[in-house]
Amino acid sequence: MSKQQPVIFDIGWNACINCGACIAICPQEAGFVSPFDTIAVDRPCDIACLLCEQICPVDTIRHRPAVAEVTPAGAVGR
Amino acid sequence: MPQLDYDVLIVGSGPAGSTTARFAANAGLRVLMVDKRQELGAPIQCSGAISRHALEAADIVPDDEFIHEAIYGFAIYDERGERTVHDYRRLKPDEYGSGGGKKPLGYVVDRRRFDRHLMTQAERAGVDVWLKTEGLGYTPTPDGRCTVHLRRYNQEIDVSARIVVGADGLQSQVGKWAGLQTHIKITELAGCLQFIVDGVETEGLLEIVTGHRWAPGGYAWVFPKGNGYAEIGLGVIATMTKEPAKDHLHRFMSDSFFADRFANSRILEVQGGGVPLASPLRTQYADNMILVGDAARHVNPITGGGLHTAVAGGKIAGTFLSGHLADNLPLRSDALSAYQDLWLSAVGEKMWKLYDIKTDIFHNMNIAERDSQLYATMSDYFSPTSEFKKI
Ligand SMILES: Cc1cc2nc3c(=O)[nH]c(=O)nc-3n(C[C@H](O)[C@H](O)[C@H](O)COP(=O)(O)OP(=O)(O)OC[C@H]3O[C@@H](n4cnc5c(N)ncnc54)[C@H](O)[C@@H]3O)c2cc1C
Ligand code: SF4
Ligand code: SF4
Repeated sequence: MSKQQPVIFDIGWNACINCGACIAICPQEAGFVSPFDTIAVDRPCDIACLLCEQICPVDTIRHRPAVAEVTPAGAVGR
Repeated sequence: MPQLDYDVLIVGSGPAGSTTARFAANAGLRVLMVDKRQELGAPIQCSGAISRHALEAADIVPDDEFIHEAIYGFAIYDERGERTVHDYRRLKPDEYGSGGGKKPLGYVVDRRRFDRHLMTQAERAGVDVWLKTEGLGYTPTPDGRCTVHLRRYNQEIDVSARIVVGADGLQSQVGKWAGLQTHIKITELAGCLQFIVDGVETEGLLEIVTGHRWAPGGYAWVFPKGNGYAEIGLGVIATMTKEPAKDHLHRFMSDSFFADRFANSRILEVQGGGVPLASPLRTQYADNMILVGDAARHVNPITGGGLHTAVAGGKIAGTFLSGHLADNLPLRSDALSAYQDLWLSAVGEKMWKLYDIKTDIFHNMNIAERDSQLYATMSDYFSPTSEFKKI
């Protein structure tokens, strides 16, 4: 079930209710979080199990392959 | 400059943290409790149902400050809308009711006010509370104590404590800091969404709707919310559906046997969260650290209720710490297993039993059979004769 490709997450903040369910299900080590009670969005996830996307009650987490990330970190996001 | 040396440092000021803090401070311990939020309980991730017994057992006086509405019983529905009602106003009319000398069975509370109230009670018992303060990690030190790393209004601060209590809720990091196995299985975390609505009548009962069709892996609910408002929500297990909780909730409101009842509802608030329908953590302690509340998965795996267990666990943790620290007992991992033993014998063993019952139901792959098992179990759970009445 695990995809080997590291992914980077994009959270639709407009729908996010900051409920923390994605953090609760996440098997990453401590600290893989954002300041808005979600999983981290500023660095790639190498586990890429995508459980966070599955649990989200409002279906607002999307991912893209992190390897394609050639732009500087500051340019990520919308 | 604040005092940077405490007996107990509690990370998280939810019901579990505040109750632990209050009992520890009442016994004379010096306690610092930190919470990263600016307003406790917000954004709300809870329906707020708690029994009167649970409040009283943790020395919490029911107060208008936090009560939305009094509750007198339960109505459990099957998928088609057949229901079993346990209305304690009828079952035990001398004891339960709104009249003089009678009492409610429980309450729906406002978590913003409830959490603030419990924090205030802790502060009045002598606890120092820092809001806007995030726990970042902790390090046991050679003197048998530990250093807790905090960030408060962007400033990094180290505080020395004899023990740290992880009361940091479902998304707990404190257990992970110590390397504990805290992972919840995707098959055991319900994704929940609820709306506070106007225009839906309720009757002083907590209403619970079972059935795979409405809430695969979980259940739906309609709770009275005071001022004529209600709360409509549900939780689903992600592996049992392809859709998020949001889509199930919309379908429950528009297509279920309650469609007419909900037809004129207007949404006032959107809330949600995760509820572990899981077992308690097998290990809830490590060097200089114990866990309590959602952080230790002290959640009823049948109902998903975690308020009663949070305040009950908080009382156990606070009382345990006062004895343990007063006697100057060691604070390394093996010495703290006594906390978990205490918790297991007080509530934990019953929770494990509930977990087994729940697991049996959801291991049944036949949906119709599973639905009727869940309906029967829920109906029995809330009956006056249930052996689990007090969890
Ligand atoms: C939709 C929904 C409905 C529910 N309905 C009910 C119900 O009707 N009845 C019931 O009994 N239970 C219900 N529950 C469960 C209940 O909400 C929880 O079990 C309860 O909140 C657990 O309390 P707690 O004190 O352990 O954790 P929480 O209430 O989650 O408190 C944890 C606190 O820790 C703080 N924190 C977290 N990390 C840090 C950090 N690193 N540093 C500083 N602070 C931190 C948080 O800000 C928070 O204030 C519901 C849950 C959900 C999601
Ligand atoms: S993909 Fe898995 S490991 Fe990565 S953030 Fe999501 S839940 Fe966590
Ligand atoms: S699970 Fe979804 S709604 Fe909840 S905090 Fe994560 S991204 Fe936001």
